[in-house]
Amino acid sequence: MRKGKTHIWLLLPFWIYYILFFFIPLGILLTYSFWLTTPRGLVPTFTLENYWAIFSKKLYFILILRSIRIAFIAAIICVVVSYPVAYSLTFKYKKMQDFVLYLILISLFSNYLVRIYAWKTILGGQGLINQILQYIGLTKEPLPFLLYSPTAVIITLVFIFVPFTILPIFSSLQNVKPELIEAAKDLGANNFEAFYKVTLPLSMSGVVTGFIFSFILSAGDYVTPQLVGGTTGMMIGKIVADQFGMRYNWPFGSALSYFTLFLLALLVYCLIWILKILKLRR
Amino acid sequence: MSYKNTLLAIKDGSKNFGKVVAVKNFSLEVKDGEFVCLLGPSGCGKTTLLRIIAGFETLDSGDVLMNGKSIIRLQPYKRPMNMVFQNYALFPHMSVFENIAFSQFLKKKSKEEIARKVKKMLQLVQLEGFETRRPNQLSGGQCQRVALARALINEPKILLLDEPLGSLDLKIRKQMQIELKNIQDKLKITFIYVTHDQEEALVMSDRIVLMNKGEVMQVGTPKSIYNHPNSKFSAMFVGENNLLKGKVAKVDSDCLVISVDGLELFANKTVNARTGDTVSLAIRPGKLRITGELESKSFGNRIRGKVVDVVFFGSVVKYYLRISENITMVAEDRITDESNSRSIKIGDGVTLGFTRESLNVFAE
Repeated sequence: MRKGKTHIWLLLPFWIYYILFFFIPLGILLTYSFWLTTPRGLVPTFTLENYWAIFSKKLYFILILRSIRIAFIAAIICVVVSYPVAYSLTFKYKKMQDFVLYLILISLFSNYLVRIYAWKTILGGQGLINQILQYIGLTKEPLPFLLYSPTAVIITLVFIFVPFTILPIFSSLQNVKPELIEAAKDLGANNFEAFYKVTLPLSMSGVVTGFIFSFILSAGDYVTPQLVGGTTGMMIGKIVADQFGMRYNWPFGSALSYFTLFLLALLVYCLIWILKILKLRR
Repeated sequence: MSYKNTLLAIKDGSKNFGKVVAVKNFSLEVKDGEFVCLLGPSGCGKTTLLRIIAGFETLDSGDVLMNGKSIIRLQPYKRPMNMVFQNYALFPHMSVFENIAFSQFLKKKSKEEIARKVKKMLQLVQLEGFETRRPNQLSGGQCQRVALARALINEPKILLLDEPLGSLDLKIRKQMQIELKNIQDKLKITFIYVTHDQEEALVMSDRIVLMNKGEVMQVGTPKSIYNHPNSKFSAMFVGENNLLKGKVAKVDSDCLVISVDGLELFANKTVNARTGDTVSLAIRPGKLRITGELESKSFGNRIRGKVVDVVFFGSVVKYYLRISENITMVAEDRITDESNSRSIKIGDGVTLGFTRESLNVFAE
């Protein structure tokens, strides 16, 4: 058998699928971003007008920045919440590992829209949180910022994407064998030092993966902001979707998308670079 | 007893894991500079005991003392000892230098001092030049040496080693045994070494603590355990042994007469046995001398047997002998030039002589 030729054939279905349904559509979209839309239809040219249009109205840029901000905060909270869960599952509750992981996966099966609506109910003026707060007497009136606000979007996004963060962090924590922690303690590290110098660096790749998942998925989300965001919680996703819907301005929609994507990629790259500088990653 | 002059003492230590008894009424004293081996079969509690000393497990009852003071409440990082783990436990995200220097970084030592100390350690374990390598670029033996350097750089009072050579191949293992012994001699640090390999224990230790099912079976120098096992277990676990069962026929002032399947054997009185007691006997293959009729009279014991097999083992030859219908024994002989003239063949009838001292008796 010739060396290593078989695996190319085995990967072929994967490549065909991805090229047909991912790379080619992305390429088409990129091309559109340089075209123009006229009352007569799409005109294939090469122009940067769509990109300049992003800066024509303050609104677009504000929305892009707000989307990035909301997504960033949501992703940070996701990671901060998920890490202890993954950590205790790995080191303290080994026997419950499978059970809890299944629970997490099952939560992903439930309908995305239903979950967002559930949060709309919980966060609303008559919702669970306000009722409890008024019942114990902490507030007299329903808190207005709980729904139809960036806060509501962040809370909802966190709960939707936490499963996406727990799993990669959990996976990378499997690399941290208990004897490594014991060795660190034996050499003089207290609990915190053992965590900071051994466990954290070794699980960092999972943390970064989880963060990127929730960050990028959150930034592009346009259903959550629509249902619980109100006007102050509006994100760029809605504008992009509109371009491909009502407004029928595909070139502009593509330009918006790619520009946002570019900013997101830049941000992620910077974060990874910062982590390397801080020597938190190997 | 104050144990003030004993470096490490364990007093009546017991530990259970649920229903499983890991360690039972374990007591031990370790002196400064000693090389002590905890030897025993898998599951005998030796690793548990090591981890108790290190602080990774707790005792259900009993105490662990250093120079008379109880250390049982101290966390591992507060105890003046370091451990070399069975699978090395090297930090995969750090270089060899960073692994070895880990404890010194924690102690906030200066960069120069750390560099100096690491260099000294690398020289000690003969890994100079390996500073920037990563654990996944090292062979098993090299990993082991890094683990050793990492533990020794801390200058611990006691070094705990948990079957450190278990995953190395034979040649490297034997080489590392000698290297470890040399390092211990040089640094004069107390070593507590866990192993299930009795040959390793015999080679390296000043004293062996033989364990089985959580209890101490025998403590002594390699020589004393080998020559004078105190139980059937000790006799069979360390080295090869011929095991016999017999009844005490007569008790004299200084010797026991034991009847074994019709034979009459004489042993030194090392156990309190009475006439009629059933006892077990052990005699090392190397102590069974094949002699001529005349010579055999100078030994305390003399039996006859028939050679059923002769096996060549390189530097020794083993003779498998049938003594009686129920008894087979093994005799071992070093191969020297003179022994060529012996040429004992299968089927030969031979006379075996052995001293009273070499016949070990246990009440079982």
